[in-house]
Amino acid sequence: MYPFGKSWSRLSPYWFLLPALLIYIIFSFGPSVFTIIYSFTDITAVQGTKWQFIGWDNYKEFFQSGRTPVYYAALKRTLIFAAAVTGIQTALGLFIAIVINTKLRGHMFFRSLIFLPVVLGVTVFGLVWTLMLNPLDGPVQKIWELFGSSSTFLGSPDLAFPLTIFIQIWGALGYTVVIFLAGLQSIPGDLYEAGRIDGAKAWQSFAHITWPMLAPTVTVNLLLAIVGSLQTYEVIFILTPNNPYTSVLGYEVYLAAFGSNAGVSLRQGFASTVAVLQFGLVLVVALIAQFYLRRREVQM
Amino acid sequence: MKMHLVPKPLGYAVMAVMAFLYLFPLLYLFNVSVKPELEFLVDPVGIVKHVLFSNYPDAWKQGNFGQLIGNSVFYTAAAVGLSVLISALAAFPISRGYVGWASFLYVFFMISIFLPNNLVPQWNLIHSLGLYNTRLGFVLVNTGIGLGFMLMAGYMKSIPKELDEAASIDGSSYSRFVLTIILPLIKPVLATSAILQAIGVWNNIIGATVYLSDKKLYPIVLGLFKFYGQYSNQWTLIAAALVIVASPLLLLYLFLQRYIIEGAMTGAVKS
Repeated sequence: MYPFGKSWSRLSPYWFLLPALLIYIIFSFGPSVFTIIYSFTDITAVQGTKWQFIGWDNYKEFFQSGRTPVYYAALKRTLIFAAAVTGIQTALGLFIAIVINTKLRGHMFFRSLIFLPVVLGVTVFGLVWTLMLNPLDGPVQKIWELFGSSSTFLGSPDLAFPLTIFIQIWGALGYTVVIFLAGLQSIPGDLYEAGRIDGAKAWQSFAHITWPMLAPTVTVNLLLAIVGSLQTYEVIFILTPNNPYTSVLGYEVYLAAFGSNAGVSLRQGFASTVAVLQFGLVLVVALIAQFYLRRREVQM
Repeated sequence: MKMHLVPKPLGYAVMAVMAFLYLFPLLYLFNVSVKPELEFLVDPVGIVKHVLFSNYPDAWKQGNFGQLIGNSVFYTAAAVGLSVLISALAAFPISRGYVGWASFLYVFFMISIFLPNNLVPQWNLIHSLGLYNTRLGFVLVNTGIGLGFMLMAGYMKSIPKELDEAASIDGSSYSRFVLTIILPLIKPVLATSAILQAIGVWNNIIGATVYLSDKKLYPIVLGLFKFYGQYSNQWTLIAAALVIVASPLLLLYLFLQRYIIEGAMTGAVKS
């Protein structure tokens, strides 16, 4: 029941809701819906030029044209990127959170350190790693040389992509760790105490107490990582601009719509098509993951 | 209570390796930033022999970083302030069911993280509103309902409804109640939301690339990236620029780390 009067004063909550609703619909939700409409047009970034609906042409171009191998490669890389980032970041994040939660000397400093890249931001840490990976005698090159090898790193067709994965994980690991720490600290200590009295070994404590109690946190971390890593391309934007060996779907959207390649018209209709396909991918993967993870939680 | 899921020596070893992996790039960055350019060219990795601080004023001047940092502070403060305010005002009636379709609206706001990438139509919208390459335009595209809305709605549910009734009996209007009682009550979650969003707005380099063309309007992250493009091989200068940009964040982090990290923790657990 609304306690603040009737008639006109009944409208107050609606007035308070309105600014958020308007800004959300105009600047976020509306444009998202329009992405789908755009995907059936040949609209470009050149303001004022004529455009028209072209049916499924953009979709056909994605799946069957001269550039299709490029898009397939980007699609495949998106999946590899997401799988590697999600898997490694979650597993490593859990392990490190457990280490920190053991409360060894210096663990607070360590926790702050590992979270630091989140605060510094992708531009700063991306450029720091560009410096680290400088092929002209950078520190990583020096280590490579110890093994009698050398590489151009971010310029290398083989290494550039795995390196973007590494740097993505390096930058976001702190967030995962912190979420796992919150989960670990919500597990009552009595459980471990009881386990210890029953003679549980460290591994058994983990398998029968930590892991099941942590199931919801694992779900949160996995879903955040999956949805995030299927969409993000900032690290690639900073570290390997215009590199055909590292591009993912998100970056293809950006390139098609806003890329500064001379001679290429900025095809926003086609960019929207890639965005819609990417959305479909995120939706399907996230729904499957959600379904599987929730069921797993219930079973535990 | 201490839990020894991991043996102590292994724990220390892991911490040492990881600490190295996170500290070394920063120390190396600082080392490069105080090197004379010639020394860097001859020996990029070695510890600096002739410490030189002039890279800092050089980078500061050539990159116009004073103004760019000012821009970033403005964009972040404006977008975060606006977002937190409208989110809180909307979260309250929705969490209380004081508006129709409350649970639908909740889901409607929450699907924002899944929606298709809206950059292209949003860009056209901003253009047709005449807001391309303006401060207002960049603030508006950074303003919105996000995780903060969800955190606030969750937190508000824990405030007993009897409080609303008591305030109403005392003759308070809805607006006065929300502005003078509810907002102060939810301060912790307002702070958490603000911190989480500030990190996002400050680092929004894609948005800045797409929406701003005038150098004078660049936020610091874009200015820094362009600076790197312009002086691509003068690493001593770029390193100094990176330290300049990182320092205020580092300092802020030093003082606020408890709030930032705990904010991130509650943010995740609630969702």
